[in-house]
Amino acid sequence: MRAVQRLLLPAALTLFAAPRGAAEPVKLLRPDQYRSRIVAAKKGRILLVNFWATWCVPCREEMPKLAAAARAFSSKDLAVVLVATDTPKTSREVPTFLSETKVPFVCWQVRSADPQLFIDAVDRSWDGTLPYTLVYDRKGDVAVRLAGAQTEASITDAIRIAIGATR
Amino acid sequence: MSPTRSVVVAAALAAALLAAPARAAELKIGGTAPDFTLPAANDGQPVTLQRLLTTNKGVAVLFIATKCPVSNAYNERMAALAKEYAAKGIAFVGINSNKTEPAAETAEHAKKHGFSFVVVKDPGNKVADAYGAQKTPEVFLLNAAGQLIYHGRIDENQDDAKAVRSPDFKNALDAFLAGKPVPVAETKAFGCTIKRV
Repeated sequence: MRAVQRLLLPAALTLFAAPRGAAEPVKLLRPDQYRSRIVAAKKGRILLVNFWATWCVPCREEMPKLAAAARAFSSKDLAVVLVATDTPKTSREVPTFLSETKVPFVCWQVRSADPQLFIDAVDRSWDGTLPYTLVYDRKGDVAVRLAGAQTEASITDAIRIAIGATR
Repeated sequence: MSPTRSVVVAAALAAALLAAPARAAELKIGGTAPDFTLPAANDGQPVTLQRLLTTNKGVAVLFIATKCPVSNAYNERMAALAKEYAAKGIAFVGINSNKTEPAAETAEHAKKHGFSFVVVKDPGNKVADAYGAQKTPEVFLLNAAGQLIYHGRIDENQDDAKAVRSPDFKNALDAFLAGKPVPVAETKAFGCTIKRV
């Protein structure tokens, strides 16, 4: 447990301090940590969380669109966090993919013996479809759910809706 | 709800709906599964659900894929379950609804992995739409009346069959055959999105 805390505390502190353009090390995330480590840590910004997996081709194809959409917003207004749902068998491919594709977002790696526990901890209305994107308003409430692969325009629209929801 | 809030909610809903993948009528637990007749991947012969229902105690409909790593992680488990439960009166039928995986590839995949059950192609993903299937692998277990008694995943551990702690599909099969209620009738399938037209 202490080892996990040692791993996660600095991760939480640097969650939104990552410079754009540089992939951060992937950190582990248990279902019970989702709200506190990801949502509650956003500090009044719009938060976009993208759930993906290395084996999910639409997820990989969506990543550049997500990066392009996020570039249109200031990091003061928008935080973007990735959550990889790979199992231990494929999780080693996560940092490789992020590095090779130069994805500029912090990425967490799910650690759950049962994927449904994590899915339900995130959003009980999520049926497990990947990719899946949640956009939270500044209060930490879900403003938009995006199931399936998105376009740059649909991601941009979702962020704008979330911004508008808390004005 | 204030007018402003209503507009925001409506806009969010519209965006979510526009962005969501096709989600047709979803088959609910207790609901009657739509009948289908689909061509077997290996020889094109028609396979009809109703015929399987009338000659078995139940039918397990599995949406599967040839290229999906998650579906492929379950190949051995699906083959073993089909063999075990065929002897107990449950017919298995695999449905490949992916537009990206042609019949010949589907047939070769089934042969390679020793599937003893029939695998059919679903042109235009019409059956996937009718069932509300979204992922591979995704299971729909029907009783002889065609009613859905279990929907969801095979189990929780795609990596390691020997370490499974929640064999939900097997539990459903056993409960059904024992004449008992299925303990967990619905789970969330986790896998690749069906590649629709």
